[in-house]
Order: sequence, then C-alpha cells, then structure tokens
Amino acid sequence: MNVYAVTNSSEVAAALRECVAASRRVHLFGRGTRNRWQAAPPAAAVTLSLRGLSSILRLEPDDLTCSVEPGVPCQELAMALRQKGLELGCLDADDSGSIGGLYASDPLGAPNPGASSPRSTLLGIEGVLAEGLEFRSGARVVKSVAGFDVHRLFVGSHGLLYAATLLHLKLRPAPRVRAAFTTDTLDVAGAVDKFIEMRRNPTMPRRLVLVREASGCRVAGVFAGRARQVASLLQQHSLREVDKAPQDHLQQPPADRELVVGIVRASKIAALADILPAAAPLLVHGGGQFEAILTPAEVDVLFTALPALEAHAAIAIGAPSRVRRTTPLDQGAARLQRDLRSALDPHSVLA
Amino acid sequence: MSGNSADYALPPMTSVVRELEALLGKNRTISSRDALLAWECDGYTIHRQLPLCVVLPESTAEVQSVLRLLHRRAVPFVPRGAGTCLSGGPTPVEPAVVVELARMDNVLSIDVDDLFAVVQPGVVNLDLTTAVKHLALHYAPDPSSQSVCTIGGNVAENSGGPHCFKYGMTVDHVLGLTVVLPDGQIAQLGSSAGPRPPQGFDLSGLFCGSEGTFGIATEITVRLSTDQPCVRTLLASFADMTTACLAVSDIVGMGLVPAALEILDQATIRAVEASVYRAGYPEDAAAVLLVELDGTAEVLHEEAQEVREVFARRGALRIEEATDPKDRPRLWKGRKGAFGAMGRLNTDLYVLDGVVPRTRLVEALSGIAEIGKKHGVVLTNVFHAGDGNLHPNISYDGRDAAETARVVAAGHDILQLCVDLGGSISGEHGIGTEKLDHMPLMYRPQDLEVMARVRRVFDRDGRCNPGKVLPNRSACAESQKWPQMVARVLGEEGRR
Ligand SMILES: Cc1cc2nc3c(=O)[nH]c(=O)nc-3n(C[C@H](O)[C@H](O)[C@H](O)COP(=O)(O)OP(=O)(O)OC[C@H]3O[C@@H](n4cnc5c(N)ncnc54)[C@H](O)[C@@H]3O)c2cc1C
Repeated sequence: MNVYAVTNSSEVAAALRECVAASRRVHLFGRGTRNRWQAAPPAAAVTLSLRGLSSILRLEPDDLTCSVEPGVPCQELAMALRQKGLELGCLDADDSGSIGGLYASDPLGAPNPGASSPRSTLLGIEGVLAEGLEFRSGARVVKSVAGFDVHRLFVGSHGLLYAATLLHLKLRPAPRVRAAFTTDTLDVAGAVDKFIEMRRNPTMPRRLVLVREASGCRVAGVFAGRARQVASLLQQHSLREVDKAPQDHLQQPPADRELVVGIVRASKIAALADILPAAAPLLVHGGGQFEAILTPAEVDVLFTALPALEAHAAIAIGAPSRVRRTTPLDQGAARLQRDLRSALDPHSVLA
Repeated sequence: MSGNSADYALPPMTSVVRELEALLGKNRTISSRDALLAWECDGYTIHRQLPLCVVLPESTAEVQSVLRLLHRRAVPFVPRGAGTCLSGGPTPVEPAVVVELARMDNVLSIDVDDLFAVVQPGVVNLDLTTAVKHLALHYAPDPSSQSVCTIGGNVAENSGGPHCFKYGMTVDHVLGLTVVLPDGQIAQLGSSAGPRPPQGFDLSGLFCGSEGTFGIATEITVRLSTDQPCVRTLLASFADMTTACLAVSDIVGMGLVPAALEILDQATIRAVEASVYRAGYPEDAAAVLLVELDGTAEVLHEEAQEVREVFARRGALRIEEATDPKDRPRLWKGRKGAFGAMGRLNTDLYVLDGVVPRTRLVEALSGIAEIGKKHGVVLTNVFHAGDGNLHPNISYDGRDAAETARVVAAGHDILQLCVDLGGSISGEHGIGTEKLDHMPLMYRPQDLEVMARVRRVFDRDGRCNPGKVLPNRSACAESQKWPQMVARVLGEEGRR
C-alpha cells in the first residue's frame, strides 16, 4: 500500500494533485483509531497520513481558542489544555486518536443537549480539496458568521469531502469539580424516565448515557461544576458517585455481528429497545446518538422499523458489503449530499 | 467566482405576476409600486431596491408552488422574514420577487419530553419562548430584535444575541429543517432526533447562516432549553472603557461562564438615558458592564460574590444588582433599547458588527475611535464583550451623500481593523450586500471559490437571493482600491 506522509498543507496539496493526475483514489488517515467507524478503503487507494501535521500552533487561554493541526494526539491536546486550566468540551482525555480523526468521524454527536460537541466547538478550518486547492473557512474567534460555513461539513465527513490541515477550536474553562455517576439497575421504562428527567435538568450533565446490558438498564454520566453544586445534583437525582466515567461506545462486535449507529429521540428509546432482541447491547447518548450490536438479520428488521420511530441509523462495522448502509435518506437531502461530494471532489478521489 | 451572477433573462413580469396571483390570490400578491415601498429595504437602509413583486405564502406547499413557478420562468427571488436584517439580506439587489414568510407564523408542535418545537419560519423569536414559558422552557437564542425578528430569519443569519456567550448561536439550537430548494424540490435536513444523520453530512448546520441563498426554510425544528432556577444580573459602571474590558477578562479568566457580558459606552448610555429606554444608568460613567449569571441559588451566590470582587478590584464607580425578577428588565432595558435610542441622534443609524479576540478589545475600541475621528463620523459602541463582538454604531444623515460615503468608508476601516486584529467581519449580522466589499479582507479568492461551489449545490442557476454574501470577481479586485458601496452611493447621488 502506498503511503504519503505529509507534514504541512502544501505537501498535502501536492500529494493530492499527484493522485488526481495518476487517477488514484486517496484514503485520508489520522492515527487509525477510528477506522472502526469507516468502510475499508478500496485496495488500490493511496493512504495520505496526516499524522505528521502534529503541532498545536496557537493556544490563547484568555480568548478561549486554540488552533491545532489534525495529527495532534487528543491526549497531547488534553494535557496542554489542562495545564492552562482549560478544556475542549468534546475531548476525552483518554482518547488515543488524533484531533482531526475526532472531528472527521464524530461518532458521538452531542453527549447531551447543549453540551459541547465537535459540531459546536469547530470555529474554522484550513483545508485542501482533493484537487489540491488550499482554502480557509470560518475564523479563529469564538463568533463569526462571515461567509458559508464550509468547515461545518468537516464534522462527520469521514474524509470524504476534503482534508483539514488546521482546526480552530473553541475552549472553555475546566470545571472545578467533576463527578461520574450512575443509577442502580432499572427496567427500560424506569431508565427512560430517569434519562428524560436528567436531560431536562437545568444544569445538564456533561455526559449522559443510557446503557442496556444483560443485567438490565442504567443511566450514567458526568456532572461538572462547583463542589457544592455537584454534590447537591447527585443527591437531588438519587445518583451514586462512581470512579469511572461511563463508556462512550460499545465494545467491538464479534465477527458475526454488526455495530449500528443511529439517532433516536429520548421518548422513543423504549420502542427502540422493544424492537431489539433483549440480549442485544444498546447504548444511547443524551444527545440522541445510539449504538447497538446485532446480527445482520436483526439489523434488517431494525432498519425497516426505524422510520416509524422517526429515527435513523447506519451500519458502522460489519461486512464490507454492508458497511455504510443506512436507513433511507430523504431524497432532497440525498441529492445535496451527492452534489456536495461532486462539487468538492469532482474527480471522486477521496475514498 | 460566480454563484451570484445571473445568466438568465427576465421574462415579462406582468405574466409572472398574473401566474402568482392565480396561485395565491391578489391579496397575497403585491405588485403596486406604492405598496412595494414597504419592502424597499431592511435595517440596512443604505441599500434600497424595490422588488418586482411580493408574495405572501402560508404553507410549505404554497412556497413550493411559488418556487417551481419562478424556476420555470427563470425569475430570481429573495426570502424575507421580518426585515430586521442589518446587512441588506432580504432586500433585492437586482429585479426579484420577494417571498415573505411572515404569514407562516404557527408553532406546529411542542414536545416536552424530547425538548423540541417545530415552528413555521415566520414565528417571531420571542413568541416561541412565550408559547413554552408555562412549561418552564425557553428558546435560547435571543437577538436584541427578538420581539420582531422571525426564526426563519434567525436561521438564515445564524443569529446570536446577548446570551449566546454561554448558550451558543442559532445553529446550536437547530435540530432539523424542511427546506424548499430554489428549483422547488423539498429537502429534509436533520431531524427532531438530531441535526445530522449517521454517515451523513451536516446539511442543517451548513444551511444556518446561508443568508437566504440556499433555499427557503419552511419548517424549523428547534431545541428547547429548560429555564434556570435563578438569575442574577449585575451592573457595574467604570470611569474608563479599558477597565471595563479588563473586568470582563478577569471574570472569564476566573473560569466563570456568565450567561451574558455586555458593555455600553458613554455616548450610548447618554442616548439611552435621554430616550424612552431610560434605565437609570449612570451618565457620568465611561462604560457600564452588564453581567448576567444563571444557575442554582447556591452557585449564583458564590459566582455573584466573585464578580463583585472583580468589580471592586477594578475600582467600579457603582455596582447594582437585580435579584428580584421584576428589577432585571430595568437593567436590561437600556441594553435592549440601545439601537432604538441611538435613533434619536440622527436620521439614520449604521450598525456595524465585527469581532476581535476578546483580549484585543481595548486595542479595537481605541482604533475605532481613531477611525471615527479620521472620517469625521459620530460613533457609539454597545457590544457583546464576552465574545469580542463589537457593534460600533454610526449615526448620520442618510440624505447627505457625502456624509453617507464617509460613514461607509469608516465602516470599511473598522472591519479591516477587526481582521487585522485576528477577528471577523461579522459576528451575527451577516454579509448581505453590506459587507460584500469586505469579504476579500478575510477570505482569499480560492476560499470564496469553495464557498461558491457549495452555494451552487443548493442554487444551481444563481436565482436564490442573488448578489448576496459572495462578491463577484471584479469586486474582489476593486475592493483593494475603493469600497464598492461608496462608489455605489456616490454613483446613485450622481444619477439623482
Ligand atoms: C434593533 C436590532 C437589534 C438586533 N440585534 C441582533 C442581535 O442581537 N443579534 C443578531 O444576531 N442580530 C440582531 N439583529 C439583526 C436581525 O434582527 C437578525 O439578523 C434577524 O435574524 C433577522 O430576522 P428577520 O426575520 O428580520 O429576517 P429578515 O431580515 O427578513 O431576513 C434576514 C435574512 O434571512 C433570509 N430569510 C428570511 N427568512 C428566511 C427563510 N424562511 N428561509 C431562508 N432564508 C430566509 C433573508 O433572505 C435574509 O437574507 C438586530 C436587528 C435590529 C434591527
């Protein structure tokens, strides 16, 4: 497999131009930790590794912004921010991936309504189109509505629209105290009620998940703020403080199963759980993202039932022939998606 | 770089108007010159242009029929909400039909468990909060124009407001959109379950802030937020602007995230105090800083104490606090009415909107004062200090072409200053026609080219609000020499 290792934007542009000239497809690659969210690239595709773009170019604690290259490891950025008393709301300090990968894959969405997400923290980018055109979108200040927000398309684009070479991000002060919590085991209806109650809390948890395991359901999450406030929130909602924050994702599925990711409203979780076999692991985030591990036949059943729940899903991990299969997209939106890809990558270089 | 340029010839309008009348009826198709004067401009009064006609659809189906007809007849159109835009967005540049959405003003559904509402685009921002108040919910984005502007307009401009420092802009509260594309096709972007489908692009995020150039939003699904149990509003006055800005830095530096951080300068304070928006602000102060905190009582007690300590350390002249909900509107009254109060200073008001990194606020404000002197214009400042989002206001007599040209030139210099300080030419009011000349200050031709490609995905033949957001090629070159808007103003004067 051919690998281009690049260290700056002009090298990215040159590599992409070369691939266009040679009619070769290109697979953009960060640290590889999120490949589980992507379909495997075609065997003939060239890999463009953005790992070498690995500098934190600017960190302005007083402006609550930073500019980082996509290959910066999430852990390194988390550490640099912690030293300044800051955090990037959507960054998990234990994430072993790159910051570019975090934004390009965004498998989590908002961890809770109103909580920081890749979508809400990306202020602007510098990027390169597949044909080698270098461009900027957005700004590096916390607020800007100048021009069309091409940078928003980067979030969740899985490397299919363009390569980002610099990300401008919005930071916030690190909270004084953080506490992970969980409920005891509940039945589905009880867990959904708790989940809805927590989503309505004026001080929203930083993270909130509903997990269904073999032993039953739990609602877990993380509160952050001032010590007295966090203590009283735990008490008010009868929550138990625990050492570890809840898992963000389900485990890798076994070879005969598929991992489905989707979005569902809180009030439809019980109906979703009803469709799934009782033993199927299910995890739902406060922001609406869910994950489930199912057999291909169960996925097919789920996909036919989801439109009635006004929910959507896609196969994130599974057989190559099935990965990226989704519940049907609205025709107008599907047209826009298709046209955006051909407008930004007219030679269909990005794989 | 097109995306703006129209390669269509207008058909005879009388027949198009007749067809529109057949679709919507005569009373919802306005074409008499006198009546059209009401749509001649928006809040950016420097740019005026009568539409060819105005239509007032009442449903998605009617919008779709209108756009299909205009597509078939190759007629450009301009979506419009309440017309409070401050950058010329809903005012045609070239002959076009205005599609006004104000009659689509129903809240279609409210879902308390899932915290969202579905609204038509003509719903007035504040009316939505009023509709959900009894449920202890609200719609968070709160532009100062919230009692008149529409949610459709807010989406198109990605509007902000005083509370977006903590709660984010309109885009952060939009879950889904039903959009009628310029050729009449309907697209569902995002949904009540979430703004982006798995494995899909963020089309709803992209549509927010597209300034009416990507199509017409006819149903909008927005997130509702739970009311905070307590709110405390503090107001401190300072002997100089620098200290007020430093107090803001101290507050943010301590790790506090107030719901709002707003500053008014002395000229604004005096205009407010002389108007019906009188709020009892100290007229001898060089600046007042309004800080709003929200959360639980115990947290607010600690936070308010910390803010008071900052005020004291920075030598505030006077500190006031509203803990009683009835007293809060008084402290806000002057801020919310500031633009209205400035109307007293002269016949016209040019409200600018630039952003600088918050740490450069002091430099920016002194630079703005210099620019005011250089061009001989009357400048006042009221701004979202937490975000570094400045609103320099220039009061002037719009009947005086030379003064208007000086005003526009001062505006250009101020936005250049914002860019030089690492900021942006717009924090919330958009580009419209007002800032076409300024786009090249911030973006290079290739950046604009990428934006133009994205625009063409939505609007293939450039008929949807043409002449907005993206300058044409010649403007990019010309802007280096002389602001187009000045040339246009002087050119129009010459023709009168
Ligand atoms: C006194 C005053 C204070 C203000 N304060 C603020 C503030 O604090 N923050 C802020 O962000 N702005 C502020 N504004 C600016 C303005 O109110 C906002 O931009 C507002 O969102 C415009 O809404 P509108 O309904 O008036 O839209 P309009 O002015 O009618 O239109 C604005 C743009 O939206 C497009 N549009 C309208 N409806 C639709 C639709 N359904 N689909 C697609 N496109 C559409 C139009 O084509 C146009 O480009 C203020 C304005 C005034 C006059």
